[in-house]
Amino acid sequence: MAEISKIVGRRLQAKAKAGMHPDPNLISAFAEKSLGQREHLQVMEHLAQCSDCRDVVSLAIPQGGATTVIAAARGGSGWLSWPVLRWGALAACVIVVGAAVTLRYPKPESAQRSIVARHTDTVAEVKSAVGAQMATKGSGTMANFASPRLPEASSNMAASEAETGRASKQVNVYGIAVPAPRADRAKSPATSAGSVFATATAAKPVEQSAAADSSLSEMADARPSADLTELVPGRAKDALEESQAVKAKAATGDVILPGPEIASAAPQVMSKASLRTTPNLVPRWTLSTDGTLQRSLDSGRSWTTITVSNRTIFRALAASGFDIWVGGSGGALYHSSDAGEHWMRVQPVANGESLTADIIGVEFTDTLHGRLTTSNQETWTTADSGQTWQRP
Amino acid sequence: MPKPGVQSIVESIAGLGALVMELYQKSRGSEFGLTREQFDGILQEIAAKYLPAEAPQNDVRALCASLRVEELALARACAAGHERAWEVFLTRYREKLYDIAGYIAKESSAARELADSLYADLYGTAEREGQRVSKLASYTGRGSLEGWLRTVMAQEHVNRYRRQRRLVSMDEESEEGAQFATPEAEPVIAVDPRVEAATDEALATLPAEDCFILASYFLDGRTLAEIARTLGVHESTISRKLDKLAKSLRKQILAGLGRRGMSRRQGQEALDVDVRDLRLNIRKRLTQEKPASAFSKKKAEARAGDGPG
Repeated sequence: MAEISKIVGRRLQAKAKAGMHPDPNLISAFAEKSLGQREHLQVMEHLAQCSDCRDVVSLAIPQGGATTVIAAARGGSGWLSWPVLRWGALAACVIVVGAAVTLRYPKPESAQRSIVARHTDTVAEVKSAVGAQMATKGSGTMANFASPRLPEASSNMAASEAETGRASKQVNVYGIAVPAPRADRAKSPATSAGSVFATATAAKPVEQSAAADSSLSEMADARPSADLTELVPGRAKDALEESQAVKAKAATGDVILPGPEIASAAPQVMSKASLRTTPNLVPRWTLSTDGTLQRSLDSGRSWTTITVSNRTIFRALAASGFDIWVGGSGGALYHSSDAGEHWMRVQPVANGESLTADIIGVEFTDTLHGRLTTSNQETWTTADSGQTWQRP
Repeated sequence: MPKPGVQSIVESIAGLGALVMELYQKSRGSEFGLTREQFDGILQEIAAKYLPAEAPQNDVRALCASLRVEELALARACAAGHERAWEVFLTRYREKLYDIAGYIAKESSAARELADSLYADLYGTAEREGQRVSKLASYTGRGSLEGWLRTVMAQEHVNRYRRQRRLVSMDEESEEGAQFATPEAEPVIAVDPRVEAATDEALATLPAEDCFILASYFLDGRTLAEIARTLGVHESTISRKLDKLAKSLRKQILAGLGRRGMSRRQGQEALDVDVRDLRLNIRKRLTQEKPASAFSKKKAEARAGDGPG
């Protein structure tokens, strides 16, 4: 602390003049900061010269220093007082700097997404080549597996949903976004009861995909996948058993499997491993107006038709992680546990009766528990991922 | 009793009928037997005390509106000897009185003595013209009643200290190890009148608050925290202000000395090479090294107790 010269102290003391001391009312009001500007100045001038009154003021202030501030009597205080302005300016500076830093530097998450996007570009290129190869081979079964062109994947919204950890609940025909009808698929929708829903969904704009995406799941599930199975009567089997069974059938020619070219190429391109190792790459699902299943890997910018069954017009789907359930006409219900790479037909049977009505709603709250709604107002439920079904 | 200048104040207050009525209701003086006329008289007396005779009505209105009318009515009713008012007063302030006394006097017996003394004054043991005079009659509601009580008690404590500080028990101090040396006579050194004039000139330009800060810190020896508490600011603000003031003062004095014909070096010597300044600084340093010296022990304790929580 700086010192003052003794001469200054002496003159300061000499400056003190005897005068009228302020009465206790004024001193207490001064201590409580409830004096007006003029009186405050008068008391302050006296205190500057009167040691005794300084003692009294010092003792009259409560120990905690919590003086009662009566704003009514003091002018110039309030919103525009100096401390408010000072701290307000500081807060404003912090906000501006924070905003500048936030805008200037990309978040690590964004960087991760761009890496995923680049990765997906590479995947798409390879996949495109595979698709062309498949088309020339004319194998047919998985012709739509590799779309002619997969645009860059920047699944920002889906990624953010995955980060928030929201589990997907339901995606059915009511809530799903439907891409604009394409000319090559301008067939009239089915005339069954499900067509009503198809028409309704067709009227919905493409932009609704964002709302529908909220029900898409995070890609954390790593269940073993089953190979393509055309029909599994009775009930769905365990995926591993299914896989073995399909392989056995494939040996006998009962089941159509992807060609050897695809089988060999798939691990290099759009395999489930690649999907699972890119957690931000969350596919989106939708049903077209003509009842085909479509998938988007670029946040809904482009859609690829996924051929599950040529004979079924699908009316409802549910996605939960890698588990996709899609149902449609004639009680057709298909399940994929690997994000749509392989499909397995599930035939719901309850009390010895199979489901034959059109499925118009599929709802899975998790990978085990699901509910089907049919066109004849029936509700079928499962609690074991479709292995057994109950009908109330 | 009307005082000079009250006449115009009376008129002003008469013109504030609605406000006065509102204040009277707010004061709840009727519960203590305070009539509207008495309340008007109190307001007139207070306005006459703090405002000039020809004060505009707006000033009167502002003053009346700023009064603590509820506490004012209670105090005046107590001063008038209203029993119910005393019950309320004692319920609210009895404990606080002793707490305040304890805070000010630092020692329990002295605190009790101080509180009892004030209590007697509040009740009005003294009589004037055959009437009991209560100190509460001087409360005007400018600040809180508790603050007023605190101030009155602080004044009483300072007065007592001033009366008693010359009466030192040599035996007690000796038992505590105090050694009394012959007081040093202040060396009388002639100061260049130009330095005094330049210093006075520099001090005269300072605002009252700056003078208060300088005097509190350098003359009274208050801590930064104490000064900050009085002014309602942070002590770092006071610290910065003191530094700035000391430098500014020095600069101004040097400039004043320059105007009075001194060279800069002469001015610096006049301010710096002052044996009393050296002695002052050395004393300060020694005090910092040994805060609890024999004779000042009590005072140091009192200072420590005075400091902020």
